[in-house]
This record gives sequence, C-alpha cells and structure tokens, in this order.
Amino acid sequence: MTTTLYLAAATLLLANAGVGAWRIWRGPTSADRMLAAELISTSAIAVLLLLGAALELPALVDVALLFALLAAIATANFVTRTWTLLHEDRSAREEARRD
Amino acid sequence: MALSWAFDLLLAVGLIWLAWQTLFGHHRFAAVVSFMVFGLLMALVWVRLSAPDIALAEAAIGAGVTGALLLSALGRLPRHPEPRHLLRPWQRPLQLQALAAAGMLAVWLGWVAHRLPRPGLAREVASDLAATGVAHEVTAVLLNLRGLDTLLEVAVMLTAVALVWSLGPALRSFAPATALPGLPALTHLLHPLFLLVSAYLLWRGSHAPGGAFPAGAVLGAGGVLLLLTDSVPWMHRERYQRRLRALLAAGLMMFLAVALGGLLITGTFFAIPTPLAAPLILAIEVATALSIALMMMAFYLYGEPGR
Repeated sequence: MTTTLYLAAATLLLANAGVGAWRIWRGPTSADRMLAAELISTSAIAVLLLLGAALELPALVDVALLFALLAAIATANFVTRTWTLLHEDRSAREEARRD
Repeated sequence: MALSWAFDLLLAVGLIWLAWQTLFGHHRFAAVVSFMVFGLLMALVWVRLSAPDIALAEAAIGAGVTGALLLSALGRLPRHPEPRHLLRPWQRPLQLQALAAAGMLAVWLGWVAHRLPRPGLAREVASDLAATGVAHEVTAVLLNLRGLDTLLEVAVMLTAVALVWSLGPALRSFAPATALPGLPALTHLLHPLFLLVSAYLLWRGSHAPGGAFPAGAVLGAGGVLLLLTDSVPWMHRERYQRRLRALLAAGLMMFLAVALGGLLITGTFFAIPTPLAAPLILAIEVATALSIALMMMAFYLYGEPGR
C-alpha cells in the first residue's frame, strides 16, 4: 500500500517536472530556463528519495545528495559565467539585464 | 505495476523530448539547459534499471560538471550567432556516407548486444569477490578484475587535459552582469560539504555504490565552485605548475605502479595479491579521485595555467 503511494507520488512529481520542461522550451529569458531546470532538479531529488523508499534501495539517498550539491554548481555557473558582459557596450548591458 | 509503467513511460517521453531539444532546438541556452536536464533524467533511468553506480556517475559527471562546462562556454560565445553555414554541394555525398556508416554501426552494435551471453558474468564476479579485497561487485570489477580498462580511462582523461591545455593560455572570465555579494559566502559554506560528501563516497566505494569516479567528480565540482570565486590562485602561479602536473598524473601513476608491482611479484600484469588488495585498491582510489577532481578543474580553466 505504502509502496503504491510512493510510486504514485513519484509519478505525479515527474509529471509536474514536465511543466518545467515546457518552460525550458518556451523561455522567454535565460533565467526562466535556468529556474525551470532547478525545479526539475529538485523534483528529481524528491523522486529519488521516494523511489529509494519504495524499492528499498538506500543507495538512492546518495544519488539524491549528489543532485542537491550539483544544482548549486549549475546556478553559480549560470550567474557568474553565462550571464556576463561579453561586450562592454551599453546595448549588451541592457540585454543582459533584461535576459 | 500500472504505476511503474506510467513512471517509465513519462521518463522515456521526457528523455526523447529533451534529446530532440538539445540537438535541434533553435535557442542555444535552451539546448544547454535541456542537456543538463537530460543528464538528470538519464540518472533516473539508470536507477530504474537497478544500476545506482552508473546513476551516481551520470549525476556527477553528466549533469553536474559537463553542464557547468557548457554553461561557461556559452558565456563566451557572442549573443547573436552568425547564420549557420549551409552544406556545399560536394559535401552532400560525404554526409550521406557518414549517415550510412553511423546507421550500420548502430545496427551492428545492436546485434552484438543481442548476442551477449545472458545473464552476464555476475555469477563469476560473485565467486571471485572474496579474492579482490573489496565487498562491492562494481568496485571489484572496476579496480581489480578489469583494472586495465579503468587505467586506460584515466589515461584518456589525462590526454584530454593535455589537449585542452594545448589550445592556449587559461582564459580570463568576464565580469558578471550583476553584483553577486552572496557568492563568496555560498562557496565558503558549501565547499566543506563537497569535501565531506566526496570523502564519504570514496569510503563507501569498497562496500556499496560510490568509489573514485563519483568522489572525484564531486570534489572537482567543489573545485569549480572555488574557481568561480577565484579562491585557488595557486593553480595559476608559475612555481606550483610542476606540483599541479604531478597531482594530475598521480592517479595514472598509482595505477601503473600497482600494475607493474603485480608483474614483478606474481608474473602477471595487474595481478594484485589478495592480502595486499584492500590497501592497494584504497590507495588507487584516493589517488584517482584526487586526479579526477584536479582534471575537472583543469578542464574548467579552458587553457594552460601559468603561461
């Protein structure tokens, strides 16, 4: 019974992550896409923990831990290295602010 | 049962959609983000296939470090790309030939996979597990029974570092578009966690999913976080270059030393005597994890430091 409940919750979370995939496709700004990826990453952590409980695989907790740590890396990279002022002119600065 | 079918179906549809977006999407940033999410879902697929070891490696390398590399590379490209170059007429037959070769290779690989013995070598590995010095089958195969494959993998990574560094001096990063006052604090708070998790994965490798590759990748990801805030200036200094290179090669050197030591003691290349197996494998794991972590950071410099 509990296993069914866990699997149902995992499936629901995965379907919910699908909405994030739609946002990645639709945009419109890079920040929207990055946040959608973070939403999917967080959902994946919950899915992994639920699967770990449902299938009785304690190793999945480690995978979830890794997901949580690496999500921070992706965001930090985005704000420092992707969202940069590539050209020092004003239009690029404006665009970076809007994007 | 119907539920797990629904879960797997959702996973498969999501994977194909993201792969399509990565390859044929018109927006470059969306393609990179799709690739990162593809890595996450791929890790879930490995979990569903009962392969938590591969899920760990995929999560650490596929979704984490590769995503970071692609995001940084994207930041260096011009915002408005040049129009795509169309194929010239004489290139068409070449393209068709490449497509046909790839298709034939795929069919051949499928045929070989179909012909593989079932249920595999799990029973042979389990019967030899006592002599390998570790209690987890995957680590036993990776570092003892098929240690040569892992040695060559580490050699390939070292070659890749040499190739990236041969492209030119390390790149300077551009200033971020907004002020980021929280980033140094985040790094100082998070980096100890990366060290802790990496040590935990390394220790766990001897009896459960984990081991040198995920541990090295996590340590490397923590190192990338340090590079983002310029917290490792020694990597760029002239007098540390020799030490840096020695550490980069440490994993491969340790592997080779153990393999040659086996040749001297037992007469067979890479034969590890059972009483020595446990400490030797631990030594290989520590050296390889350290090397892999530094290699991840070395890729991230996008060029040779100290030049």
